[in-house]
Amino acid sequence: MSGQYTVSASPAAREEGAVTQTVASLPATFGPAPESRQGTADVLVVAGGPGWTTEALHAVAAGARGVVVANPAPEDTTELAAAVDAAGTAVVLDLRWASNPALVAEGSAPDARDAVRSALGSASLLDSVATAAPGTDPQRLLGEHLAALLAVSGPLDGVSLLRSDATGYTVAGRLANGAPFTAQGVLTAARPAAVDIRLYTADGGVSVQVPDPDAAWPAEVRVTGAHGELLLPTLYESAHRSAWRRLKDHLGAGTRPDDLAGFARLTDLYATLAAT
Amino acid sequence: MSQQAASQHAAPADRPLLGVGILGAGPVTQAIHLPALARLQDILEVRHIMDVDAAVASSVAARVGATAGTSMAALLDDPAVDVVAICSPHQFHADQVIAACRAGKKAVLCEKPFAMNAEEAARISAVSSETGVPIVVGAMHTFDPGWLAAEQNWGDLPGQVHTIRSSIVLPPNARFEDFATEIVTRPAAGRPDYSDPDVIKSALRGGIMGLAIHDLPLVRRFTPDFTDLEVLQVFHVRPFGYAVSLRTPTRVIELRAVMNGTWKPEWTFEAIGDDAALHIDFTPSYVQAGSAVATLTRGNGSDTRTFGPYGHNGYEGEWRELAGLARGTRQAPAAQTLIDDLTFALAIADATAASAGAGHAGAAEKAGVTP
Repeated sequence: MSGQYTVSASPAAREEGAVTQTVASLPATFGPAPESRQGTADVLVVAGGPGWTTEALHAVAAGARGVVVANPAPEDTTELAAAVDAAGTAVVLDLRWASNPALVAEGSAPDARDAVRSALGSASLLDSVATAAPGTDPQRLLGEHLAALLAVSGPLDGVSLLRSDATGYTVAGRLANGAPFTAQGVLTAARPAAVDIRLYTADGGVSVQVPDPDAAWPAEVRVTGAHGELLLPTLYESAHRSAWRRLKDHLGAGTRPDDLAGFARLTDLYATLAAT
Repeated sequence: MSQQAASQHAAPADRPLLGVGILGAGPVTQAIHLPALARLQDILEVRHIMDVDAAVASSVAARVGATAGTSMAALLDDPAVDVVAICSPHQFHADQVIAACRAGKKAVLCEKPFAMNAEEAARISAVSSETGVPIVVGAMHTFDPGWLAAEQNWGDLPGQVHTIRSSIVLPPNARFEDFATEIVTRPAAGRPDYSDPDVIKSALRGGIMGLAIHDLPLVRRFTPDFTDLEVLQVFHVRPFGYAVSLRTPTRVIELRAVMNGTWKPEWTFEAIGDDAALHIDFTPSYVQAGSAVATLTRGNGSDTRTFGPYGHNGYEGEWRELAGLARGTRQAPAAQTLIDDLTFALAIADATAASAGAGHAGAAEKAGVTP
C-alpha cells in the first residue's frame, strides 16, 4: 500500500460509494487498509442507508481521521455534528448528484451554483426532473434530488409534496423572489439515471444536467443570456471522486468540511415534506 | 378598400391547383400560413384573403396576388376558393367553420381551438357530418413528420406510459415572425395587471388554450382516461407562462411554459413509461426550420432510435393533409377525435383557472419577475 491514508469500507459502503475504484484513482493519497487494521483505518466509509449517523458516530469514536458517507439519506445529524466537532474528524458526504464537481467547484472556478444563484433574482421558473430506475424508493430519490437542488439554489419556500407513487413524485414550492419551483421524480428504465435542473429567467436561464456517478461522464452546465450560451468547463470527474478529493484536501490542510451543516438544510426540508 | 374582382387564376387541366381562401390576415396568416403555402405552389394557390381591416387584407393579398376583401360571405361565395382557412380570433371560429361547411367548400382548416365550448363543438360536428365537408384543426404538431414517424414506430409505448411532459420555452412571437416575413399591422402588446387575480386567471386560461393546446392532442394520445382529470398544482409564470401539474388515474401530466426574452426556444414533448420513452424536440412556429426530431429510447438509453429532422414542419404537413382531403385522396379525421381534443383542452383550461381562482391566485400575484 502506497497511499498516505488507509481506507476501510464495509461491503455495502464499498458498493454504494464505488470505493475501490475511486480510492484507486487517488493512489498517492489513499489505499486500502490491511485486513488486520480494518477497524482502525485512517478513513472509514459508511453506507448512507437509514441509521448511517449511528454508524458514523461509531467511526468517529473509533478515532478515524476521516469519514466518508456514501449517498446518505436525510437523517438528523445533530448528535453526529457535535461528536465530529469534539473529535475534529473530517466528515465528507458523497452525494449521488450533489457532490458532482460541476455543481460546486473548489476555489473560484465557475460552477452551477454561481450560475444559478446569480440568476435567481430574475427567475421566472425553476423546473427540475430526476430520473431513476423502476423500483427505486421514491422517497430516497427525492432526498437525492433535493440535495442537488439545494446545492445550487437559494432557499426553497413553501415546498410541498403533490404526489408520490411507484412511478415517481411531484414537489412544488417557491424561490426567494416568489417564482415557482417544481421538481419531479420519474422512474423509468428507458433512460439513464440523472437529474436535470432548468432555471428560466427574464432573458435566458441556466440548465444543469448531472449524470449518475458510476462513471466520470461530465455534468453539463449551460448559461443562456443575451450574450448567447456559455458551456461551463466539462469536468470528467464523478461525484464519488470529487468527494474523496475534497477529503484529501481537508486532511492535507487540517481543515474540516462543512458537509454536515449543509446537509442539515436537506434534512429540515425533507422533514417538512414528510409532514405534508 | 373595395372588393377586388373574382380570382382569375387558371388551373392546369391535368392537375388542377386548389384555391385557398383565408379568413383573418394577422401575423399567423402572414408569418406561418403564407410561407408554408409558398412552399406548396404545385398543389395550392392562395386566391382570396379576408380581414376586417381592409388595409391589412389588401396588403397581405397583394403579396400573393389574391383577391382581398372584408367580407366572409364574399370569400365563401368565391368559386375560386376550394379550401378555407380560418385564422380569425378564437371567438369567431365556430360560426366561420359552420359557414364554410355550408358554403360547400372541399375542406376547412380551422386554427386551434376550433370552438370555445362543447356546445359549439357539437354544432360543428353535426354540420360537418351533414355537409360532408372535412375539417382539420390546426394542431400542427400532430401533422409534424417527426411526430408521425414516432407514431409509426413507438409500438407498445402508449399502453405503458405513466408520465407525460410538455415544456415550451419561447421568446415573444415577434422574434420568429420577423424571421419568417415582413409583418403588417402587428397587434399592440398589452401590459397585464397581475395584481388583479382575474387577469391571472385569464392569463392561465389563455396559456392553456393558446399555447399548451399545441401539444394537448399529443398528451391526450397517451392518456386513455383523459376525462378523469385532477389538478394537483397551478402556477402562473411571469411574464407569461404556467406550471400545471395534473393526473388521471393512470397518468401524470406536467405542463410547463415560459415566454420570456430568450433567444433560445425549447419545445419538448415527452411520454415516459417503465421501459420505453419518447422525447420530441419541436422547431419553433413561424420559422420554416423543418420537422421535429423524435427519439424513442429503451434499455437505459442504450437502445435509441431517432426520427427526423425532415424537410418540413407540421404547418406544411397540415396543408398537405388539407389538399389530400380536398382531392379525396385522404380520409377525414374523425369528428370525435377533434371533439375529444377540444373537451380535453377546455377541461384543463377550466380546471386551471378554477384552481387559480380557488386560492393560488394570491400566491401567483407575488410570483416571478415583473413583466
